[in-house]
Amino acid sequence: MLNWLRSVWEEQQERLIFLPPFPDQADPLALFSLLLVSGLIIGEVLHRSLRLPRIVGYVLSGTLFGPSFFGWITVESLAVTRPLADTSLGLLLLEIGRRLDLRWLHRNPGLLRTAAIEASLSFIAVYAYSCLLVGLSPAWGGAAAAITMASAPAVVLLTAEETRAQGQVASRTILYTSLNCALSFVVFTVVLGLIHAEHSDDWLNAWVHPLWVSLGSLVVAILTAGLCLLIGGLLPKKSLAQVFVLVAVALLAVGIARMIAVPVFLCLFLMGAAIAFLDRGKILAYTELPQGHWLLAIVLFVITGASLPWRDFTLLAGLQALGLLLVRAAAKLAGVFYGGGADLERSKRLLVALGILPLSSTAVFMTMELAALYPEFGRPALALPLFAAALMEFVGPVLCKLAFVKAGETDEERSRNGGIG
Amino acid sequence: MSGAIETFAPSGVLTLGVELELQLISNRDFDLTRAASDLLAGLRNDAEHGEVKLEITESMIEINTRPRSDIAGIREDLAVLRELLVYQCAKQNVAVCGGGSHPFHHWPERRICPGERFEQIHARYGYLAKQFTVFGQHIHIGCQSGDQAIWLTHALQRYVPHFIALSASSPFQNGTDTAFASSRLSAVSAFPLSGQAPAAVTSWDLFLAYFEMLKDCGVAESIKDLYWDIRPKPEYGTVEIRVCDTPLTIERAAGLAAFAQCLASHLLRVEPTIDPQLQELVARFNKFQACRYGFDGVLADPYLRTRVSLRDDLMLTLTAIDEDADHLGCRSEIAALKEAVRHSLNGAHWLREEFRKLGGYNDVVHSAVALFARPSSPTSP
Repeated sequence: MLNWLRSVWEEQQERLIFLPPFPDQADPLALFSLLLVSGLIIGEVLHRSLRLPRIVGYVLSGTLFGPSFFGWITVESLAVTRPLADTSLGLLLLEIGRRLDLRWLHRNPGLLRTAAIEASLSFIAVYAYSCLLVGLSPAWGGAAAAITMASAPAVVLLTAEETRAQGQVASRTILYTSLNCALSFVVFTVVLGLIHAEHSDDWLNAWVHPLWVSLGSLVVAILTAGLCLLIGGLLPKKSLAQVFVLVAVALLAVGIARMIAVPVFLCLFLMGAAIAFLDRGKILAYTELPQGHWLLAIVLFVITGASLPWRDFTLLAGLQALGLLLVRAAAKLAGVFYGGGADLERSKRLLVALGILPLSSTAVFMTMELAALYPEFGRPALALPLFAAALMEFVGPVLCKLAFVKAGETDEERSRNGGIG
Repeated sequence: MSGAIETFAPSGVLTLGVELELQLISNRDFDLTRAASDLLAGLRNDAEHGEVKLEITESMIEINTRPRSDIAGIREDLAVLRELLVYQCAKQNVAVCGGGSHPFHHWPERRICPGERFEQIHARYGYLAKQFTVFGQHIHIGCQSGDQAIWLTHALQRYVPHFIALSASSPFQNGTDTAFASSRLSAVSAFPLSGQAPAAVTSWDLFLAYFEMLKDCGVAESIKDLYWDIRPKPEYGTVEIRVCDTPLTIERAAGLAAFAQCLASHLLRVEPTIDPQLQELVARFNKFQACRYGFDGVLADPYLRTRVSLRDDLMLTLTAIDEDADHLGCRSEIAALKEAVRHSLNGAHWLREEFRKLGGYNDVVHSAVALFARPSSPTSP
């Protein structure tokens, strides 16, 4: 069939001078768009038939059609789509940064205490597990712990939105996710220094790189947040123009972050937090990201799914990753349950702990950032958090949804009938 | 609940009780949020000053004062309950405010609270139950007998527009200025047993017979099914005024309670001749005028067959009850209400001014939250 088509095409080329050579390979963009549509369909089918979160379908689609299985999308095409994934994750992190409600923490300091205990326990438990049981070096063990102490902001936000969850479990899950992301990013920059100290003879990198990453991200975040508020202040509140400004300046931040080699996810998270903190006049407080949220989600999770290295998966790696997830879950459950929050019933505290268990895209992208520094050491060492993240890509959204449903905070009927968003 | 009304439990004449339905607001965007059950679970009720209760949807909460003999007790109860609620809401990152309606919430997003009665209402009234996410103040006035309660129900009916104008604070619905001072009562009027007590029910025995007839016909099961503007409440031994929007401040709520107490005192003292049938003929028109125009409404007077300005009639009424106000210790509250009438200060006016200044409904609710949380002057809306 293909040969027949090729011969017809080539015959016509002599007469039709505008015809290009017969396309031997599909255009990456066309393939990618097909991947997105397949992600959308699989997500909807899983959601309607098994009531699974749509995100699971998106990841599954990426995994199936990515390099590890059918290979529709190649490693090279995946590299081309990386800016898209950065942008998607960045915008979702911007949103979770905007949910870092410092005023709530001021009014209820027990929440900060709980978040600190939960994140610390998670770090210590995973660090001990990685070094003592898996045998990672202290620096790479620290990296694994730093990466996995964060919950998945995109999963938590989108699950809350998909189920239309409202209540203390949903609110606290989002807040703790936001807080443990912030703490994870801080530890991540410290770990950068430790990794340089372990692998580089030059101590300069060990000091300067963490400073570059943290200060660089902070400066970009504050400047772009200021720019957003400055321009947003000239426009009517909640107008489409304000949404445009928010997205456009976020894209500017993504571009600058890529130019100066600071993590995009850190920049955008800090930008969101800076907007929330600096916006005293509530200039952008009511401006939501457009319904494009869900387009971003499909892009992000399809690419994440395609990026998961299932070809390198072994039984041992799987068991080690499973062990990490269990240790991490125990630490987070204990942290949230015993960390305080007497103003919330015990059963709901457990559900909050369940809600913050997802671990995904941020971890995958953080791992890639780190592994790129010292590929020969980093790739094998970071297989542990990467496989843990890969497993949680499928389980995390289900756990998060389960927490919201069990808390009775979802609007199941509407989300079933309402489709995306 | 069996639904039977057997006896009227008499209470001290002119004792007072206040119920305020309040809005639970998201601190993020100032839309209504579902928070009532979590809030109540974390709340240590102060029984000495009343209680905090669930209302029909998760975005509402109700505070009830203890029965009090004077307005000072009501003021104190309301202040303590406000403080308790504001503190607990802050811990859970929600906010609380007054006002008869939320300016821009989307009613299908409301969730019915768990509870047999709430579920029954939802089953019986369908979408009306969720649209009933409007917020009112109920004032109970103690009566010594069922007959007295029925008489006061009819006697107070003439003053329904006065209560509406003073409390009106629901000018916005669905992100739109309704052009009404109080749009809340439109949601109430959709219920089949809303409106005035029937003119033919002029004694406690007639009320019992009427209610039995409703029960036998399957129209009502309990007295809670009567969504009348003013109704007797036999288990409390009170007559209950139900037409007020929840004001934006507890100071105005206390002022309205003082007005009700002084007015009831005045009516019981003067014992004016009332003709419920005649009043019934103009009641809907007068109520509409107050809802639509607030203080600027015009009332039909069926006794004199003329029209009077609501503002003028209100001022005359407030002046007529001066003596009772002095006697009951409500002088400052009544003086503040006169000041409010003089300058058209009600919640609707305040909310519209805020909208004019701020330009957005989210910011208006933000302001209402701040206004509710702090002690205000007696003339506050």
